[in-house]
Amino acid sequence: MTTRAAETRLVHVQRLAAGAARRLEAAPRALGRVHSVFERAVNILCHDGCLLTLHGPGSLAAPFAAAVDRLPPSGVLAPGMAVERMGERLVLDGRAIDWRGAEVVETALAAAGDGSALAAALLAASLPAGAAALRSPAALDAQRRLAGGLRRGDARGFADGALRLIGLGEGLTPAGDDCLVGALAVVHRFRRGLLAAHPGVPREIAAAAREGTTVVAREFLLHALEGRFSEAVIALASAGTEAAARDALADLLAMGATSGADTAVGMRLGLEALGA
Amino acid sequence: MTATATLVKRSYYADSVALLALARDLRSHPGVIEAAALMATPANRALLAQSDLLTPEAETAGPNDLVIAIMAEDPARASLARARAEELLGARERRQEQAGRRAPRTLASARRQLPGADLALISVPGAWAAAEARKALRLGLHVMLFSDNVPVEDEVALKRLAARRGLLLMGPDCGTAYLGGAPLGFANAVPRGRVGVVAASGTGLQQVATLLAARGEGISEAIGVGGRDMGAEVGGLMTLRALDALEADAATEIVVVIGKPPAPAVREAVEAKLGALGKPAVVALLGRDVKARHDGRIITVTNLEDACLATIAALAGAAWSPRAFSLPPAEVRRRVEAARRGLRPGPSAILGLYAGGTLAHEAALILEPLLGPVLTNLSPAAAGPGSTGGRHRVLDLGAGEYTVGRAHPMLDPTARVQAIAGAAAEGEVAVLLLDVVLGHGAAADPAGDIAPALEAARGRELAVIASVIGTEADPQGLARQTERLERAGAWVLPSNAQAARAAACVARGEAVMEQLLAEMRP
Repeated sequence: MTTRAAETRLVHVQRLAAGAARRLEAAPRALGRVHSVFERAVNILCHDGCLLTLHGPGSLAAPFAAAVDRLPPSGVLAPGMAVERMGERLVLDGRAIDWRGAEVVETALAAAGDGSALAAALLAASLPAGAAALRSPAALDAQRRLAGGLRRGDARGFADGALRLIGLGEGLTPAGDDCLVGALAVVHRFRRGLLAAHPGVPREIAAAAREGTTVVAREFLLHALEGRFSEAVIALASAGTEAAARDALADLLAMGATSGADTAVGMRLGLEALGA
Repeated sequence: MTATATLVKRSYYADSVALLALARDLRSHPGVIEAAALMATPANRALLAQSDLLTPEAETAGPNDLVIAIMAEDPARASLARARAEELLGARERRQEQAGRRAPRTLASARRQLPGADLALISVPGAWAAAEARKALRLGLHVMLFSDNVPVEDEVALKRLAARRGLLLMGPDCGTAYLGGAPLGFANAVPRGRVGVVAASGTGLQQVATLLAARGEGISEAIGVGGRDMGAEVGGLMTLRALDALEADAATEIVVVIGKPPAPAVREAVEAKLGALGKPAVVALLGRDVKARHDGRIITVTNLEDACLATIAALAGAAWSPRAFSLPPAEVRRRVEAARRGLRPGPSAILGLYAGGTLAHEAALILEPLLGPVLTNLSPAAAGPGSTGGRHRVLDLGAGEYTVGRAHPMLDPTARVQAIAGAAAEGEVAVLLLDVVLGHGAAADPAGDIAPALEAARGRELAVIASVIGTEADPQGLARQTERLERAGAWVLPSNAQAARAAACVARGEAVMEQLLAEMRP
């Protein structure tokens, strides 16, 4: 193979979620298989049942993502292709994806007490409509229960709403799951004790996510339950000023068809419930 | 009068933008009242039901399946809209395909597209399989010959050609292999490790590999040789070559040989090769006259779970002895008694309904000494004289007579569901004994596919005993599949051997259980 041809088959990871980096370090050679391929992302289902998402340059769209300098052209990769780990490279279909030198990004959301910048930006914003299913009677009822639980500090009530949102609505990550991820970001940022004091509740939500939604949405939910989120959610939840929060909200709303908006709906729901 | 139409695409992933655009397009179609394109999660199926859009077909879909549901003014318009949905999805798939490489149409063009490839997996009808395998060998490729119905003389010629070129010819009818960490065919997600396997049985290999994985051990290389390789006509050509390969493989610390009893001349050659191997070996060539023994560095076992346990012990330098159950005896007694209390009075026969041929063979070998003759549809060599009659039956539903016009039972549950319903109705059977095989290539939800039939059988006072061959990393998830079977009333044991023993205990009660526990007391 010529050097030029070899270079076209070498992809560099620019940024890598810390959790994904740890998993890759410990992964066996038979890492997994390509799970799904989209124009702007490739999901790999790893040997441990977890996903690794590859997408183009920029902020990490998931707490299990790696941003690469360029994705292989659409159509070259197909679900089912084997992915091997060789040293600090992934090899799939003769292409090497090298994560040496990648910036490792912490995707855990830190707890904080002051959410005034976030609240000012998010509660004042005119959010896009998001997914229609989030306005269905079932979804509205679930959101009421979720918010009620959060308002009362009632973990069971929160779980009751959460379980009704899982797998609900449009999208590869159904809108209800996106909404729940947003609410969980608020919980982890401002009311961490709610879930920490009731470990059975996150376990119950995790079990429902494993059974009741798509593989991709499940992965987002399982990470969110442990306090890990996309960089857009972290930037919004951690914004120190109203202007920074507005910029972060704009980035979040640009994600997916309605995923970003649905996540923002969940964050706003959480903030309102906490009386922000 | 309104009408609904549904299109279900299994394991179909399209981004949200594409799904929303699709639903919008369909809603604008003439006569369409409502259309939805949703992943079929339980919550979304409930939403569809509330909108009168949930058809029986959509009810069968799972969270990773796409459902397109259409309500139109009349059946003709619903059907037209469904066709439109298919056209839109087809166009999307074609666009994706055109954006990438074109699918190769010959082995040579595939080789040009992927110059580093060193193996061809061939799955074409048997009549053409030998020709394709020959081409692959001449291109310097190892061959995994998934196809069956390849004449034995072709098999011999192909294996000789492979041997001359220093290549592997795995098969014919080779269902499972692991080479260089890549699972091939029906294969479970298992870790790499120290155990090299030569297997004349796909499901036998799957059982051993998954049991090893459950104990944290993995496969270095697993070479399938085809079910006839150790017969007199083929003479163990590929078994011997595979043993050479494993001997040379630095990652392989112990070798496991899985299959049925070889022809006498082949047995001698294999034993001689194993004796000179320089590595310890565990031999699981399952037959009626095989006895467990330990001969120098070679351990002979009588079932697949023991192959795993003996391997783990040998790697640890520890002693090993067979055991009947991994549960404590008191717990086994409690479970057996509970199962027996649920039986209707009278019938006491076992019916084994298997997707895995070697697992069926293993079950029959375990049941016969405990219960007497077992009727099977397995080959006469595998069964023995007692197997031509008996109240107890073990059926390999992957055998030709059950797969005419339909896929293998690892993919298509129809034959097994029909057999379960038949057993529940006929009144002779007390215990159903089953395997559920997971992994790449197997059905998306094999436990869910048979669970409704099992629930109905439980309603007819039958005991259901099963084992799940899989790992948590398999696409179907071991725990999820086990839980689904247990919810349907099955007693799920950790191996096929234990499941067969449990079935005997439930069918015959205390005496068999005490016999087993006594025989296997260390």
